[in-house]
Amino acid sequence: MSRLKLIIVPTLIISCLSLSSCFKDVDFGQAPDIALEPDLQVDLAYYELNETDFFDSETSLFTPLIRDTIRLEFLDDDYIQDGLMFAEFRFRHENRFPFPVRSNIKFLNKNERPEFNVAYVIPEGSLDSPGIIDTLKVMEGNDIRKVRRSFKMVMELEVLGDGKDLDGNLDFSSKGLFRFEF
Amino acid sequence: MRNKLYLIIFFFAGVCFSQNRPLLYNVDDLPQALLQNPGTRIDFTRHIGVPFFSQFHVFAGSTGVTAYDVFADNDTDINDRIRRVMNDLSAGDFFSVNEQLEILSFGWKVGQRGYFSTGIYQELDVFAYFPKDPAVLAFEGNADYIGENFNFSDANFTGEVLTVYHAGFTYKLDPQLSFGGRLKLYSGIFNAESTQNQGVFRTDATPGGPNFYTHAVEGLDVMVNTSGYASLKDREGMTVDQAMAELLSRSFFGQNFGLGVDFGFNYRVTEQFSINAAIQDLGLMFHQKDVENYHYFGSYSTEGLEPLFPELDDNEATIPYWDIFEEELDINLKDETTTSPYNTWRPLKFNASFEIGTGKAILPCDYLISKKPRYMNLFGMLVSGVNRPKGPTYGVTAYWDRKVTENFRFRLAYGVDEYSLTKLGLMASTRLKNFNFYLAANDIIGYTNLAKANSASLQFGMQFIFKYL
Repeated sequence: MSRLKLIIVPTLIISCLSLSSCFKDVDFGQAPDIALEPDLQVDLAYYELNETDFFDSETSLFTPLIRDTIRLEFLDDDYIQDGLMFAEFRFRHENRFPFPVRSNIKFLNKNERPEFNVAYVIPEGSLDSPGIIDTLKVMEGNDIRKVRRSFKMVMELEVLGDGKDLDGNLDFSSKGLFRFEF
Repeated sequence: MRNKLYLIIFFFAGVCFSQNRPLLYNVDDLPQALLQNPGTRIDFTRHIGVPFFSQFHVFAGSTGVTAYDVFADNDTDINDRIRRVMNDLSAGDFFSVNEQLEILSFGWKVGQRGYFSTGIYQELDVFAYFPKDPAVLAFEGNADYIGENFNFSDANFTGEVLTVYHAGFTYKLDPQLSFGGRLKLYSGIFNAESTQNQGVFRTDATPGGPNFYTHAVEGLDVMVNTSGYASLKDREGMTVDQAMAELLSRSFFGQNFGLGVDFGFNYRVTEQFSINAAIQDLGLMFHQKDVENYHYFGSYSTEGLEPLFPELDDNEATIPYWDIFEEELDINLKDETTTSPYNTWRPLKFNASFEIGTGKAILPCDYLISKKPRYMNLFGMLVSGVNRPKGPTYGVTAYWDRKVTENFRFRLAYGVDEYSLTKLGLMASTRLKNFNFYLAANDIIGYTNLAKANSASLQFGMQFIFKYL
């Protein structure tokens, strides 16, 4: 074999083999199926109320119904609108008032219309033995759209009683488990 | 028989890629050996590379994961595979891409003992550790990791494109010792690095606390430095092709510069036994132009929003709790963009080996040529490494270097490194008169199916090498 062939032949072989080398047993067409599916545990709202919250600060009159609103603007973000597939809300009340308390947690859309709500009566309790409600609200399937449309969380509390000798406190904690698929 | 041997060698060389340059290290008839050890003992008197073709080197590798691990063509779900891979990978696993293209290369003998070599090459180097915690947080969320830290320090990467102008001198002090050095001028084209990040995100259950959890970002200090990026980013509508063209236009004289040196020696302990060592790229890049740095820092914790049930008239607006929350976030978790100059160390490379020769060559009878006895078989062991942000990466290679004829040699190597424990490599170098062509490749086993290989690389080049005066 001449010296020229010595170079040309191996070079051709190398070129052919390099070009024919490939990835086997793999399917890169699966790439679009890759999905991020994070489950996020997120605190929502909490409060600790006592009897003063149910009396008018100027007139000292008993106010059995109080409410407050928080905007949950993160629910309006694109990643929620596009990727939220499941939501599980957990609400927990501990009532140390000697009266039952009605709680109504409403989720409103941007037009102030309710999308869904969670309502229950918290039994009366005492400092040593609080009345406890610990509830879950699962939103999935078509219901998840209601969460996506929600923008505000309105919390209404109504003391069921005349408020006489109202003493104690009412604790609230809440969180959401949000499952996404991107 | 010899022809068959050539074909077999080239066959295997052609179906594999090389990881690094242990296959070219200390090869005394290739100028590329001088790039790894300027003190290498060489047996040629002049060389000139074919412009742009004297050395092309490309390497890509990852520890702990292959393409097959993620994209296997079977019945399992790709997302289950990704979860499994993420569980298996640690924050110490890494991905690396390195490419070098020699643009110019030439050199000549100076006096009886010296050799001057110089040239230009372009290099791309990307090295990223697997950002384990951020990846787990993005892929799985925090629900299953209550009470655990997500470390921002897991985000750790460097990437650079630069042109290197170099000139080196090799000096043979006596029959035993040769040593050399190389001065390098770096011309930076692009750089991005983020290596000293700190801080954690964690979610703690707080039984007895005001809410179910506390979410906290503690000690966040994330810095991403870039040079050569801001001017690209600011050009709206720039396509990838246009960005590449812009980068290429900076190839010869980028905006940022640096200096570095290589040192090395070769010591022949006996006629048959030699030791040698070298360091490469002991140098700094000074990034002063087209710099844009992104800094994220601070600490913050929250248990959620706390409604206060204020006494409001019907016309009064509620307290903007969310806005207050966002303001607190902005106050406590800050981000700023600066254009402060910064410096980066080049990835320092080091090599050390010993070599034993057997089978003394029959030298040509020419009184003009001063040559010491050479050996047709060389057995050596090489330890090589590269300094990276979390510490050096190592590799050990044992090789058999065989000179088949005066014009053809090959090197068969077995190596272990952090990518693979079965790294078979082969180098072949042939010469037609003064024209040299070489090809070096590693990971022969992996190259049979790149999808299952942890690394792949290839080196080849062609040049004119003159052995006689």
